[in-house]
Order: sequence, then structure tokens, then C-alpha cells
Amino acid sequence: MASSVTEPRPSDSSPAAGAAAGPGGPTPSVTRRKGLSEKNRPLWLLIPGGFLMTIVILIPLAMGIWMSVIDLDQYSLRRWVSAEFIGIQNYIEAATSSDLLRSIWLSVSFAVISTLVTIPLGVAAAVVTQNAYRGRALVRSIFLIPYVLPSFVVASVWRTMLQPDGIVNVTLTNMGMDGGLWLNGPNAYWTLVWVEIWAAWPFIYLLALSGLQAVDHEVHEASALDGALWWNKLRYVIFPYLKGPVSLAFLLATLNHINNFTLPYVLFGAPAPSDVNVLPILVYVTSFQSFRFGLSAAMAVVSLILIAIPLFIYLRAVKLDVHDGGKK
Amino acid sequence: MSIDAANPIEKQAKQPIRRDAALEVTRLMPRPLLIVVTVLLCALVLTPILYIFLASLNTDVGVASGEFWPSSFSLDSYSKIWDSVGLAKAIGNSLIVSGATAVVSALMAIGTAYVLVRFEFRGRLTVLRGLLGLQSIPGTLMLLPVFVLFSSAGTYLGVTVIGTLWGLFIAYLTFALPFSTWVMVTYLRGLPRELEEAARIDGASNLGILFRIIIPLSWPGIIVSAIFAFLLGWNDVLFASVFTRPDTHTAAVALQVFASAVEGGAIPVYSQMMAASLVCAVPVVVLYFMFQKYLVGGLTAGGVK
Repeated sequence: MASSVTEPRPSDSSPAAGAAAGPGGPTPSVTRRKGLSEKNRPLWLLIPGGFLMTIVILIPLAMGIWMSVIDLDQYSLRRWVSAEFIGIQNYIEAATSSDLLRSIWLSVSFAVISTLVTIPLGVAAAVVTQNAYRGRALVRSIFLIPYVLPSFVVASVWRTMLQPDGIVNVTLTNMGMDGGLWLNGPNAYWTLVWVEIWAAWPFIYLLALSGLQAVDHEVHEASALDGALWWNKLRYVIFPYLKGPVSLAFLLATLNHINNFTLPYVLFGAPAPSDVNVLPILVYVTSFQSFRFGLSAAMAVVSLILIAIPLFIYLRAVKLDVHDGGKK
Repeated sequence: MSIDAANPIEKQAKQPIRRDAALEVTRLMPRPLLIVVTVLLCALVLTPILYIFLASLNTDVGVASGEFWPSSFSLDSYSKIWDSVGLAKAIGNSLIVSGATAVVSALMAIGTAYVLVRFEFRGRLTVLRGLLGLQSIPGTLMLLPVFVLFSSAGTYLGVTVIGTLWGLFIAYLTFALPFSTWVMVTYLRGLPRELEEAARIDGASNLGILFRIIIPLSWPGIIVSAIFAFLLGWNDVLFASVFTRPDTHTAAVALQVFASAVEGGAIPVYSQMMAASLVCAVPVVVLYFMFQKYLVGGLTAGGVK
């Protein structure tokens, strides 16, 4: 689900980080508030959300892990509680006789390539819209278009344009080139990368822009006084400011690419051509078209572990932010 | 600056010159390069967008024969899609589910966030970290177990969930909550405590404070979290493709089904495809540009500084 919400998670460095860190900021009002809140905390407000998340996230998560160790197909699905326990056989099958390893490779390489291309694009866009000029608001709005358009719309549109007789091939033929197939065969992988890049670079742009805005005017003045050439100024003065935001963007964008189901699904349909059989598609097809539910659950658990690595780094980075955030 | 001092006669022109000088200081690239980069990026974005517009105003035959510029403009595609795609019903479904998700999740998020920000209790940090972690759980992992759980509700409780909009709503609401709550948490942290304390001294209850003080002060945060919940529902294909029947298809699924059907046909109706895509994008684009100020601020607030 997180795949469709592709925005930076505010990791916060807010004024109230003192409150967040709790015991860190003991002022008289804190003690008084605490005394009051001990008696009269409306903790029941947490119940509705907690209830929903337990029913629709935590329990299914546990069910998913359980399903990965039982023999579950379309016949045993109705009685899934009493399906046969088969230990790690689903995992063995996933690793040895399914497309899992290939899909992991496809997903990871696709995600990393997409991120590596979008970062320079996003940073360049942030750099050119840093200074106010007439029409800048328009340019900024244009830059946001791919980010704003729903993924399924982006995918439908590119799918239409990249048809064998679509506009892309017609244009290429007019220019004397042979287009070939974009939605099938070996080119499909690069089609996926291209469309993902087209749709995802404004995300980097937004994060880089917020990084640029943290650069004080004095810094610009100082480097102007030193007579820094623009390239040196960017390289040695400005880019260090972007290191934090861009690393965060790298992590989040890569996670989003790996989790992206909508784009490959709408672009290529399911089952997807083998060159774009990325992890989310594989898991989806294995359960809802091949009806190998147990096997699919095992694949899903493996992909969760894969996701957990960057996610863990991200959560640690955020935790640091909360504690350092006292600066306002 | 020294230019100003050297030309005391041109005092009137002082302001513009100074502004230019300030611009020169913060400029990060030489002007020509800046223009080239801007134009290239705009072309990258606008070329496909322009094509969508033109194709949607073309005829199906015109688009199929590979015209970029239509030989005749018509709005036919826009009137056909309501029948051929079933777009009216689908957009209605999407609006209901996403709208309900937006409103309910924003309400729940603000209550939860209020407790998380203003009160101390055991496990608070765990909940906060959980909110972040849950946002990144892949939908594909949740789809099967949630599907089985919802089907079981039919088998054991006699409540049909799969195929109805309720199932989608509950799923979207739950998946929207972690992010909505997180947005509200970051927003409420920025609100001063003094007003609440004053109200408390005046005898206001927790709920009174929530409704009379927190909510009226938090509109920007509420809007951001509601819009993201709306987008989550509107943009989802994964859950909608499994949880809906033809009469409960959302816009995303209807468009996808139409696309697959179209390619089997004798004459591909690409023009209708483009018109339908545009219509599906409109509500989202309108929301974004209406609330752009809040959204971009909400996105980047605290995000990386």
C-alpha cells in the first residue's frame, strides 16, 4: 500500500522535539502537565486507530507469515486454518524452482538504476528553480506534474504511446529509426526504468529543494566574495548541504521503486513479460493467477525482509533526527 | 553594491540594481546553462502531456494512424468514455471510497496524534516508530492475508466484504492511518502549548481542548493528511483489482480493464484511452494545485532539515 503514497515522510525536527524526547526537557510546566496527564489522559483516543491497525495490518501480517509455512492453494484456501503445515518447503520451492531470485535481481537493479538517474535530474531541477525569476512559479508547477499524476494514469498513457503502432514508434520511424517492441521482450525492462524515472524525479526535486532552502544567504555571499566559480561553489559549498536530504531521498525512492506495483502492472499487465517480472508482480501473479497462495506468501515474506534493510537504516536516521531536533 | 556607490546620480535605479546583485549572489548556475536545463526538464515533462491532450481531442482513427497533431479536433472521445469505460460509475465509486477515507482518517489521525504529542505513556515511542515503519510495508505482502481475512468474514460472520466498497474503505483507511497520523504528529508538535494550558485552567476537558483549540488551529495539517489519504485511495490499483466487482470498480481499475480490452479490439480506441486517463487525473490535479502551498510545505516540513 505504501507503494502508492510516494512522498517523503516528514521525519521531523520540530520545536516540540523536547516533548518528544520526553524526560529530556524538565521545566516546571512539564511536571505540572505530567501530574495532570497521569490522572486524565484520553488514551481511549488511541483505540479506534489501534483497533483498525491490529485487524487490518498486524493480524494479516501474522497470517501472512503463517501462510508461508502451510500448503495453501485454491482448494485449501477456504479451510486455511486447518491447512497442512509444511515448514520451509514453500521457501525452498521459491528459492529453487520459481522466478523469485531473478525477480529480486530485477527489482533491485531497476530500483537502484531509477534512483541513480532521478537524483541528478531532481537536484538539477532544484538548482535551476532556486532563484526567483518571472515565471518560476509556472516552471515549478510544471516540474510537479509527473509527481501529481496518479501512477495508473502515467502507466496507461505510456502504455498507449509505446504500443507497436503508437506515437513513439511512428516518431522514431519518421526519424529513420526502428522502434521495435517496447512493452514486450528485452526492451520492456528499459521501458519500465524510463517510465519510472519520468514519474519519480520530482520526488527528488522536492527533497533537494527543501535542502537548498536551508542554505543561508551568508553562505552565498561568502562564496561570492571568495570569487568561487559556479561549479566549485556548487560542488564544495552547496552540495554538502544536500548530502542529508539526498541520502534520505535515495533510501525512500529506492524503497518506493521496489514496492511499486501499479506501474509495472498497468504498463505490462499480469502476468508480466519475464524481463519485467518484478517482485510485486511475481507475488501478485503467484497468488491471484496461479493460486499458489502458500508459495506467494513465502515470496512476500522474503520481499519484506529485503525491504527491511533500507527501512531499518531509514528508521535509525529518523530516530537521530528526533533527538537532534531541538534546534527549532 | 559598489556599483550603487559609484553612481550616486542614479539613485532612483538603486533598488532594481540591488535586487539584481542579490540575485547574482545566490545564483547557482550561469544563466545560459540555467535556461537550457529548465527548458530540457520542461520538455521532458510536457511532451507526453501535450500528446495526451492532443490525442484526447483527436479521433480514435486519427490517433491509431499515428498523428501527433490531430487532422480534426473533436470532443467525441470525451462523450464516448462514459459509456465505453463505464467511467461515471467508476469515478463515483472512487470519489466515495477515497472521500470517506480522507475524512475518517483525518479525524482519527488528529485524535491519535493529540494523545501521542501531548501525553506521556508507556510505549509512546514504540507507537511513533511503528507509524513510520508501517508506511513502508509493501501492499503486495498485505493483499493476500487481508483478502483471506475479509473472505473469512463472509464465511464465518455472514458479512460480505469482498466486492463491496466497504472492504476497500476499511483497507484504505487502515493503510492511510500511519501516514495521516504522522503528518498530524509533526504538525501538532509545532503548535504552542499555552492556549491549551489556558483552556485547561478555565476548566476545559480533553475533548473540549481537542475540538475547540487543536482542530481549529490545525487546518493545514488536517488538509495535508486528508489529501494524502484521498490520493492513496484514488491511486490504488492493487487492492481495488482484487476487492472489487465490475459494479464496484474504481476509476483506476476501470481504466486498466478498458486498456486491456482495447488492445484486443480491431481499431484501438487510443483517443478514448487518453481522454479517460485525463479525466481520472483531473480530481487529483485540481486538489494538488488548490492546496499546493500546504502540500509542499507539509511534505518538506521537518523532512530533511
